[in-house]
Amino acid sequence: MELDLGPDIADFRADLRSWVAANAPAGLADLTDWQSFGVTGGNRPVGLDAAQADPRHQEWEQRLTDARLVCPQWPAEYGGQGMDGVRVAVLNEEFARAGVPRVVRGMGEGFVGPAILVHATSEQKAHFLPRIVSGEDVYCQGFSEPGHGSDLAAVETRGVVDGDQIVVTGQKVWTSGAAKANMMFVLCRTDPDAPKHSGLSYVLIPFTGPEVTYRPIRQMSGAAEFCEDFLDGVRAPLTNVIGGLHNGWRVAMTTLGHERGGRATVQHLRFEQEFWALVDTARKYGRHTDPIVRQQLAWAYTQVQLMKYSGVRTLAQVAEGRQPGPEASITKLFWSEYHKRLGEIAMNIVGGAGLVRPDGDGYPTTDWQNVYLAGRSGTIYSGTSEIQRNIIAERALGLPR
Amino acid sequence: MRLAESREQRELRASVRKFLTDKQSLDAVRVLMDTPSGYDAAVWEQASSQLGLPALAIPEQYGGAGFTFVEQAIVLEELGRALYSGPYFASAVLAANAILCCGDEQARQAHLPGIAAGETIATLALGADELTAEDGRLTGRRDLVLEGATASLILVTTDESLFAVAADAPGVTVIPVATLDQTRRLATITFADAPASVIGSAEPLVGVLDRAAVALAAEQLGGAQAALDMAVAYAKTREQFNRPIGTFQTIKHRCADLLLEVESTRSAVQYAAWAVADGSDELPTIAPLVKAYASDTFSHAAAENIQIHGGIGFTWEHDAQLYFKRAHFDQQFLGDPAEHRERLVQRIGI
Repeated sequence: MELDLGPDIADFRADLRSWVAANAPAGLADLTDWQSFGVTGGNRPVGLDAAQADPRHQEWEQRLTDARLVCPQWPAEYGGQGMDGVRVAVLNEEFARAGVPRVVRGMGEGFVGPAILVHATSEQKAHFLPRIVSGEDVYCQGFSEPGHGSDLAAVETRGVVDGDQIVVTGQKVWTSGAAKANMMFVLCRTDPDAPKHSGLSYVLIPFTGPEVTYRPIRQMSGAAEFCEDFLDGVRAPLTNVIGGLHNGWRVAMTTLGHERGGRATVQHLRFEQEFWALVDTARKYGRHTDPIVRQQLAWAYTQVQLMKYSGVRTLAQVAEGRQPGPEASITKLFWSEYHKRLGEIAMNIVGGAGLVRPDGDGYPTTDWQNVYLAGRSGTIYSGTSEIQRNIIAERALGLPR
Repeated sequence: MRLAESREQRELRASVRKFLTDKQSLDAVRVLMDTPSGYDAAVWEQASSQLGLPALAIPEQYGGAGFTFVEQAIVLEELGRALYSGPYFASAVLAANAILCCGDEQARQAHLPGIAAGETIATLALGADELTAEDGRLTGRRDLVLEGATASLILVTTDESLFAVAADAPGVTVIPVATLDQTRRLATITFADAPASVIGSAEPLVGVLDRAAVALAAEQLGGAQAALDMAVAYAKTREQFNRPIGTFQTIKHRCADLLLEVESTRSAVQYAAWAVADGSDELPTIAPLVKAYASDTFSHAAAENIQIHGGIGFTWEHDAQLYFKRAHFDQQFLGDPAEHRERLVQRIGI
């Protein structure tokens, strides 16, 4: 069933569908399965890098850029077209339907842009946002520190004002995408004497040059997607401080609030695809007739469908003009706990075969071994399940702190 | 499909909630628990004549109000929230849908107007027990018939047909049984060469049961929300160690997990209600899915509500027990969660 979002949105959907049909380079959809991105903390999906390097993908990226369909939710003056949440959701649905990729600008689009739009000056917006849209600036996140994970406001990385510059020194950790980034958004302490939450600043620093070093952290999955980073006097102009000095906590919270958005109705798709892959696996091992396995498959299918139903409901609420509340925390808690459990179910289904890894250098794993091992990180990164439950309890249920 | 509640739907919810608060509070439910019939005939009459609740989803041509299942799901959620004790589910859901889906045109015209007006209380006697039908006469028995002792019209299905039997017909014996959940009434009905008329085919019964599963899930949603609300309200005010127990993470996290489950149930019930209203081909999968999930949610919420209340939570005088017992009834009625999950995997082709 499709959500009735009114005639304007129906027209928008029809126009978009024709545009995609007319503009998607032939064969683009067949380059890889664009909808199945890998498990964070696990191995990158096979073929994704090659597909992104293909000339057809580059041509597609150019057409999207020309049509202002990269970061389309941003205002026109900064490279977008001021698309509302409902239209972004429809855009995601239509691209998924056609099997073509969205060109997204990672953390720049998901984290930095929203913080800039809410807290930055117009000069800062004009400088930073178009560079994210064009792909010139690629951001990684500098929030967590070795001593401070969940207690984010306790960060110790220092930011010292030196004339019209700020000098950042400290250590960050759990940075994904460090190798591809040329910029980092950091939370650093600029007023050591102020109370914990009020002495922080949100700064965009260059993630290049001899003052920056990073080193991959190998995870239990064998993959090394996260890094630890050493910032040794990295200099940035004071105009790279977003939201003003010592106001970083508020800016950082804005960022987290915008983590999701228009993906409400498509986020279940990759889990649905994965579910059917698990059904194939169960059949292959003759486990699909086992009553306990059948109950587990029913449970998994239910969870995936619940993501779909909740996404549709969220979109209906966005269409009504209601601001998203703690749904983001519920969504994160839901899919990460689901995926952790799915890895366990999958390994139970494959049984003894899961004890054996594929041959090869390093630590190659099967898809289910990868889900099983990498899934453990999902309930920890981006706010642990415990932090999400605190947020839900305090902000949605009003339980006292 | 439109998921956001319209203004009319919000008003419907508010008026049903107010009616139940005024006419059938949990104190009133407790009084009814000790009566033989278990329901308040005056409240049923008002719910029928003033609010038109049984008529809501019955088509206008059969004396109904012609609204959709979406509106009925809102009513059911409110009934579940209030632990409404009475024949709504048996008559306005089970029996009305059996006649709508399985009954012939004559049966619809004969029976639906009475059900819509609340003047006929009907039920559907489900079950796998052996039942023989010969020359318009039924012999056999059905156990666990919802509101079996309240209904004046008993619908019975065999493998082939839907039968209508008058409760006071010769050869019909109705024996109420004591229920663990005293807010729901069950009876054993025996038929000894009882006169029965064939009023339709049993073939569409699967669809009736799918609708009933979604309807029960809507009631379960209301019950689960009420249990969660009770637990949260208590956690905010109950103090131990000089602080509200809601400040403890173990309480917070239990409540947060319940909210996730209740909200997920709400999304599923809304979607499922639309699937019924639209005649969607997604109904066969979402019906067992939502029944199993809503059962788990309500059972979990009702159990956690007792635990969070501590000692008072397991007393007779506290209302937490009423939700716990209702949750158990709803979990088992129309098939337990494991049965529905098995049905789900079959229906998605595994």
